[in-house]
Amino acid sequence: MSIQENYLKNKKNIFFSENKDIQNHREKLINIFENDRFDKKNNESLKNINLKNFIDFKYKYLIPEETSVINNNQENSYSIVSVNGQCSNFKDDKIEITRILDKDYNDFSKNNSIENNDYFINLNSLFLNSGFKIIIKKNNNIKIKISNIITDDYLTIFQKNNYICEDGSSLNLIEEYENKNNSTSNILNVIKLEKNSQLNHFLIQDNSPNHNLIITSHSSCKKDSTYNQKVYNFSEGYVRNFHYSELIEPNSEADLQGIFFLKDDNTSNNKTFVKHLAEDCKSNQVYKGILNDRSKATYFSNTHVDQVAQKTEGYQLSKGILLSDNASYFSKPELKIYADDVKCSHGSTIGPIDENAIFYLRSRGMSKIAATKILISSFINEELSSIDNEQMSELIQKKLVRYLSKVK
Amino acid sequence: MNSETLNTLNSYSKNKYKYGFVTEIDNEKPKKGLNEETIKFISLKKNEPDWMLDWRLKAYSKWKKMKEPKWANLSFPEIDYQDIYYYSAPKGFEKKPKDLSEVDPKLIETYNKLGIPLEEQKVLAGVAVDVVFDSVSVATTYKGELEKLGIIFCSIGEAIQKHPDLIKKYLGSIIPPGDHSFSALNSAVFTDGSFVYIPEGVKCPMELSTYFRINAENTGQFERTLIIADKGSYVSYLEGCTAPKRDDNQLHAANVELIALEDAEIKYSTVQNWYPGDEDGKGGIYNFVTKRGLCAGRNSKISWTQVETGSAITWKYPSCILKGDNSIGEFYSVAITNNFQQADTGTKMTHIGKNTKSKIISKGISLGKSQNTYRGEVSFLRKAHKARNYTQCDSLLVGNQCGAHTVPYIDSKNNTAVIEHEASTSKINEDQLYYCRQRGLSHEEAVSLIVNGFCKQVLQELPMEFAVEAQKLVSISLEGSVG
Repeated sequence: MSIQENYLKNKKNIFFSENKDIQNHREKLINIFENDRFDKKNNESLKNINLKNFIDFKYKYLIPEETSVINNNQENSYSIVSVNGQCSNFKDDKIEITRILDKDYNDFSKNNSIENNDYFINLNSLFLNSGFKIIIKKNNNIKIKISNIITDDYLTIFQKNNYICEDGSSLNLIEEYENKNNSTSNILNVIKLEKNSQLNHFLIQDNSPNHNLIITSHSSCKKDSTYNQKVYNFSEGYVRNFHYSELIEPNSEADLQGIFFLKDDNTSNNKTFVKHLAEDCKSNQVYKGILNDRSKATYFSNTHVDQVAQKTEGYQLSKGILLSDNASYFSKPELKIYADDVKCSHGSTIGPIDENAIFYLRSRGMSKIAATKILISSFINEELSSIDNEQMSELIQKKLVRYLSKVK
Repeated sequence: MNSETLNTLNSYSKNKYKYGFVTEIDNEKPKKGLNEETIKFISLKKNEPDWMLDWRLKAYSKWKKMKEPKWANLSFPEIDYQDIYYYSAPKGFEKKPKDLSEVDPKLIETYNKLGIPLEEQKVLAGVAVDVVFDSVSVATTYKGELEKLGIIFCSIGEAIQKHPDLIKKYLGSIIPPGDHSFSALNSAVFTDGSFVYIPEGVKCPMELSTYFRINAENTGQFERTLIIADKGSYVSYLEGCTAPKRDDNQLHAANVELIALEDAEIKYSTVQNWYPGDEDGKGGIYNFVTKRGLCAGRNSKISWTQVETGSAITWKYPSCILKGDNSIGEFYSVAITNNFQQADTGTKMTHIGKNTKSKIISKGISLGKSQNTYRGEVSFLRKAHKARNYTQCDSLLVGNQCGAHTVPYIDSKNNTAVIEHEASTSKINEDQLYYCRQRGLSHEEAVSLIVNGFCKQVLQELPMEFAVEAQKLVSISLEGSVG
């Protein structure tokens, strides 16, 4: 079925299909797909992907019967269960949660340049069927945990979320993606950080082999704000992590980090992109991957420094360990620099586990497997030890142990 | 091309080819534009055998279906292939300056700064060579010596006539005509270039350079070079020269193929200093070069060294295919861009064999309003056990209107291979500058000293006499843009 037929058939289930303005925009997107203007061969967003699975998908969506639960049993701490990408409305003096509105759709889809080249973002805009918006009000310090639950098999979720951190606020956000029902989630998070705000964003991904997760985020940071993102990908199914960050006002910071653990025939595509558009900003992009069996991964990192963005510090690091001779890793750490007073660097390594280190451990009486496991744990120790939430730290340790038990 | 040049060329071509040819196409003048007639004309003019013409025509039919590669970080107006002369035979003496007094004084000034002897200056400036400097005799002395060792060093045209077996076997084997549009274009219309064959076990005693070749005078805009190093041999080849070269041709699309068999080593050094255009970015050469080497045998080695300071646009990726086990590929590059120059240059290391090693050192310096990109690909294929790569690419920015970009592609499919890549971008260190100035150097001298130090790792890879000139060249390229 073509994209257009698919869209027309399911139009009534899709958000904002009554809105004329949005309809026009979507027609344009359909045109891009149908006219074959889409450069499939050289498109980064499609590397290592069997595109057919994503073009010929069967659209299926269920409006959740039960509304999600929002708890704030502890002060300043909320836990949200989002069902099929939806969340019920909630409001108190600190946060406000609403369904996503057509205004938000326009806000992002029309003013965004990444969209034209990204197949999955276009699909997301086209088939949008869920999403919510969370506003953290001024000068509040909040913790939120979101569990994403999908109720049925073979669902296609197209979700757009908006996060707005108002002036001086601080948010600790933990998102969990643990699904076992062969669905496909295509999620776009649009994050706005106002002056002097801070967001620590943790994403824990652990899906079953036939569950696809495509997650994209787009954050923009105003003056003195900080965005920290940490992605932990333990999924056995396909995961795509594309994270874009724009530093639009001086003295803002973006830190995008991720680790991924792959095995069997799994694939993971990762991308981070930081755009420095103002002075005195800092950015850091660090991704580490461990690949076993026949798994494949890509990592594109990109630092763009605009001409006005003097005194920029932008660092990138990409490290990959290949445990099997059938695994493959592709990385492309890119720097685009148009200002002269900058400190930018990138480093990238791919290789096996250090043989000398293994030798050292084995000479002290350890078995080869035990030595390998220790070295893998130490490889990502930096990322794990920086988690200050005890509960989460335990959870991730558990997942790591599960992954290591399969390493031979 | 400006209209004056066109007129000169026009009148020249009319006069030159009015008489003489017998077959149908003979009456045709070398018209502007690219079509089968042009190719037949070139082939006939070079007196080529039929198989060569067929080869060219095949390449042309491929070119017709191709588009220029667009992925590079370059912007330039569309090239009108039908507005170019594809056969520019050696220019008549009437166009050449008679002595140095007729040559652009700016050019002479640069020559003096580089310390080029007067006789050589004349050659470089295009003063009618035969009158002033007996390069022919120099060339022939060397030629005799080379012949004794069994080394073949001649123009590619001559090789097609005299060594068709080698040409048939190797030409286009590393860069197939259908590789991309510039290689197809070059394969269809190449007119000149060098051919080198080093026989088994021979170490070439001198650095081979186009300068010594008899017909090196007009290197042509579509150069094709083929170097074959047979088992256990060694050759070092120098391309280009350090002095700026005036050239009327706007488009250059050269192809260079290197083949190193078992235990052989090829060292290829380039200093490219074509006309970069003026301060406002007008004019200048578009340089689209494809260079590729194949380490075919075990323990073979190919080493590329390049210093790129000229050309309005540089599109150049000397690459190595490391097929033989234990083979080594090296790439050392300095690219300096000033004013409105754009350079997108780098390398490609493809590791196929076991224990293959590669090393990439790239230094980019951008000044003025220029854009300088390093683009490199390192890939380890499945069977490249224990392969090793080390890449370092550093960029230096001088001024706040230029850009420095790094785009590495790293692909590993083998779990015993190790790859390391590091890159940094910064401006000239204030402390270093302060230190130099404190010791009495002017700002310009200090910058030049620091930049030379920055490039040293690469410059020291150049053959001795080249290295000295290259260092001066780096200083000259920086002139007028600092302080």
